[in-house]
Amino acid sequence: MSRHRRLATVAGHSPRDRGRRLRVAKGPRRWQRRQGRTFYVFVAPWVIGFVILTLAPIIYAFGVSLTNYDGSSSFWRFIGFRNYVEFFTKDTDGWASLLRTLGYAAIVVPLSVAGGLALAILVNQRIRARGALRALFFLPSVVPVVATAITFRLIFNRDAGLFSGLMGLFGVHDVTWLSDPWAFYALVVMTLWGLGGGMIISLAALQDVPSELEEAARLDGASRWRYIRSILVPLISPVLYFQVVTGIIAALQMLVQPLLLAETNRIASSAQVPTSSTLFMVKVYNEFFISNRFGYGSAMLWIFFLVILILTLLLQRLSRRFVFYQVGGD
Amino acid sequence: MATVSQTDVGSSHKASAWSYIGAIVALTAFGIPVIWLILTALASPSQISEGTAGLLDIHPRWQNFVDAVTMIDFTAYAGNSLFLSTLVATLSTISSATVGFGFARLDARGRKPLFSVVVATMMIPNVALLIPSYVLFSRLGLVGTYWPWVFWGLSGFPYLIFLFRQFFAAIPVELEDAAIIDGCGWWRIYLLIFLPLSRPVLLTSFLLSFTMTWGDYLAPALLLNLDNTTLAVATATGYLDPRGNGLLTVQAAGALLYMLPVVVIFLYAQRYFMGSSIGSGVKG
Repeated sequence: MSRHRRLATVAGHSPRDRGRRLRVAKGPRRWQRRQGRTFYVFVAPWVIGFVILTLAPIIYAFGVSLTNYDGSSSFWRFIGFRNYVEFFTKDTDGWASLLRTLGYAAIVVPLSVAGGLALAILVNQRIRARGALRALFFLPSVVPVVATAITFRLIFNRDAGLFSGLMGLFGVHDVTWLSDPWAFYALVVMTLWGLGGGMIISLAALQDVPSELEEAARLDGASRWRYIRSILVPLISPVLYFQVVTGIIAALQMLVQPLLLAETNRIASSAQVPTSSTLFMVKVYNEFFISNRFGYGSAMLWIFFLVILILTLLLQRLSRRFVFYQVGGD
Repeated sequence: MATVSQTDVGSSHKASAWSYIGAIVALTAFGIPVIWLILTALASPSQISEGTAGLLDIHPRWQNFVDAVTMIDFTAYAGNSLFLSTLVATLSTISSATVGFGFARLDARGRKPLFSVVVATMMIPNVALLIPSYVLFSRLGLVGTYWPWVFWGLSGFPYLIFLFRQFFAAIPVELEDAAIIDGCGWWRIYLLIFLPLSRPVLLTSFLLSFTMTWGDYLAPALLLNLDNTTLAVATATGYLDPRGNGLLTVQAAGALLYMLPVVVIFLYAQRYFMGSSIGSGVKG
């Protein structure tokens, strides 16, 4: 921001720039500087925390990724980018888990966003017990992950699970649903149980849509479905886009759910996570805590960060075409 | 920032019969897992061995809940969870409010780019960040202590900072202009005028932070020991028979007891949870 522009606003033409308007009243530069300093005092906790708790671990991981550190011994060497080369050339399991994770996201994210939107539209209508329905649909998404995992371990339990019992009615007996290849789908089902979180976000957006629009669409002879498709969805597309982005990031870094859902009860060791639910972060976790390959695991983490970065940028590009931003904002 | 603040707000479109069918189907789908959890928690081991149908024959066995509390040191772990969650909720609420106020009301060079960084950090995959954080904390000798949570709490959470910023930014300027003319400093304006106004947001932030910490599994699993870990870890890993197999009925009872505080807080303070929806804040 140039000095000229700042001086130009002193006259108070820009109603948003309070600080600058106040400069006139209080004696120019000193006020400006004091407010600037005060700002940094107020935001200091976050800035310091960001540097120490976010930047430092990420940079540290990059340093470790260039070594063969095993997590405990002091005999480690700098090995350049060998870990990265190993992942890209040799680690077929790692690649498989990365692709599996992308597949998982490709299934879970559209279903959660669409399901959440459908529920939001449902409970945005004049429907009986609307408040209770909203709460009940939302509730599963706030249940702690450990409780959710135990619940679905019971549902898919081989001998006494509800799902096994239902399948038994169709003559399918004694299938260990929490092992390969079914564990993947159990994980998908468990994730979808929490789609009420997205419903609440969509619902908040739906409530911002002026009711006159629906009235006008109806008078013009548009069907309910047409109204939803051509007016409602475009109007709240920024919120849906937000859910897609955060949903993809959440899906890609899925770790605790596959660990806890694994049929084994010795949860501390994740080596027993079935292959079909060994998502990328599970693989990273194994490299760190089963194989003690901290260097290699760190390299995988950095590859992961880059994958997320690339996906986010791609989505941002795509969003220009599909997301409709209201001019002027709210 | 419009939010789902009132549970009775919505479109005037009257629900059709299809909507009711959809609602019933959805209710069944969402409800069945919890009902199954409760049925298992009330069953006896012999019913479990009879298979799925055995569970439908209900003879409540309350002993499962007694076992859930006695097989592991339940009160101690619950105490750890309560302490850690309260600690994080208090620290993160205070610091997020302060930082949010800075971003909403104070002007300075670099404010806008810095706020974009806050928003961008919401996109950082936390799980991926936690693993190198664990390595760093272990090198600093902080594994097995609650210090990492103190640091996390003190630095505030991006999501909560965002929440506070939105709230503070919507308060009319005249309020602080008057205070400034009266010679009030920014800290006094913040503490005496803005904080008291933000009581609902403070409560929302505290509850979100509390339930998040109560529900977290990975951080305590990596960073704490068996004697000072949280109920989340104890519930997930305890309740085994001597051979290391899970005792399903006790696990179910333990899971119910463990999630109970979160469910109670949620039902009691629904509107705060729903009101915190970030959705409309990201528009345009």
